[in-house]
Amino acid sequence: MDSVDLTKIERRVRLRYEWARLRRALLGFAPVLVIAAIAVALARHPSVTAGLGLGAFLFGVILLWYGRDVRRAVLPGVAAGLVPLVLSLCATHLHHCTGDGCMMVCVPACAVGGLLAGIAVAVIASHRRAMLTFLVPASGLALLTGAMGCACVGYSGVVGLAVGYAVGLLPVLVRRVARRGG
Amino acid sequence: MDLRKEDSLDALMARLAEGDRSVFSAVFKQLWPPIERLSMSLLKNQADAADAAQQALTKILERAADYDHSRPALPWAFAIAAWECRTLRRKLLRRREVSDEGTAEPSGENVQEELVQRELVQAALSALGELSANDRDALVATFWDESATVSGATLRKRRERALTRLREAWRRLYGLG
Repeated sequence: MDSVDLTKIERRVRLRYEWARLRRALLGFAPVLVIAAIAVALARHPSVTAGLGLGAFLFGVILLWYGRDVRRAVLPGVAAGLVPLVLSLCATHLHHCTGDGCMMVCVPACAVGGLLAGIAVAVIASHRRAMLTFLVPASGLALLTGAMGCACVGYSGVVGLAVGYAVGLLPVLVRRVARRGG
Repeated sequence: MDLRKEDSLDALMARLAEGDRSVFSAVFKQLWPPIERLSMSLLKNQADAADAAQQALTKILERAADYDHSRPALPWAFAIAAWECRTLRRKLLRRREVSDEGTAEPSGENVQEELVQRELVQAALSALGELSANDRDALVATFWDESATVSGATLRKRRERALTRLREAWRRLYGLG
């Protein structure tokens, strides 16, 4: 069929392929919106939590849409991020978060949650061949998900989460660098 | 499509399902010819076949992420394409029926003759519908004087057998020899 312009058809089909991937990614990552909605309902600063939730959702959708290796980081990243999220939300609600009391309970909860998330991501990453393409997206998602809860005490909660996460991740990174050097 | 090509199509399709866009063009170029041929063989019309092939390829690549890596890609693609051809054929059939209804009723002195002709065509199509796809293909190819995939004695035998079965179907349906 010589009259058929294959380049034009290919371009059109490619566009439909990308739309289909985006649709799947939006549907596949929709449960995170439920998690974000729960976090917003329990948060002390709903607007900040909503912003972080939206960021986590968009980041996850982009990863799923892009596919390949980074796609495999989505579930572990969200699962790891749930640890600091749940810990910080529990700390906020079980312990009446006011003034210094909040700093004494929420910030450590975020740091411990971050540490556990970092260890979890590090353990999974060490079992994978494509380490960087896993570590970066999984860490991004874990931190964004965890930050939805840790934002309850402002920047200090988020910093506590990030420090704890980095500490959890450190052994794997050090081992990786050492192996490369040796 | 030989075995090696099919193997590579499976591998390319698996990569595309994972989101590797670098193989998109290769998958498209490998799938287009067989899908177009299938559409042509099912629809027997170049324009319709081109439409169906485009539609089918769009559906196949839209569903690329659903592709099961453990199965061969080509039969999976053919199944989607065949379904698209079927859908298009039904749509065209409905449109033709509507336009037939819309056309003016036969008028003048040939009314009776035209009605009889129309009924005969309908009856012939019904009898033809009773036959297998191979028999139908052989008779349609004979009617349109198309070159079939087989020739000579094989074609003659196939045509004879198809005609015998058409006669039997006609007799069964209308009780006429």
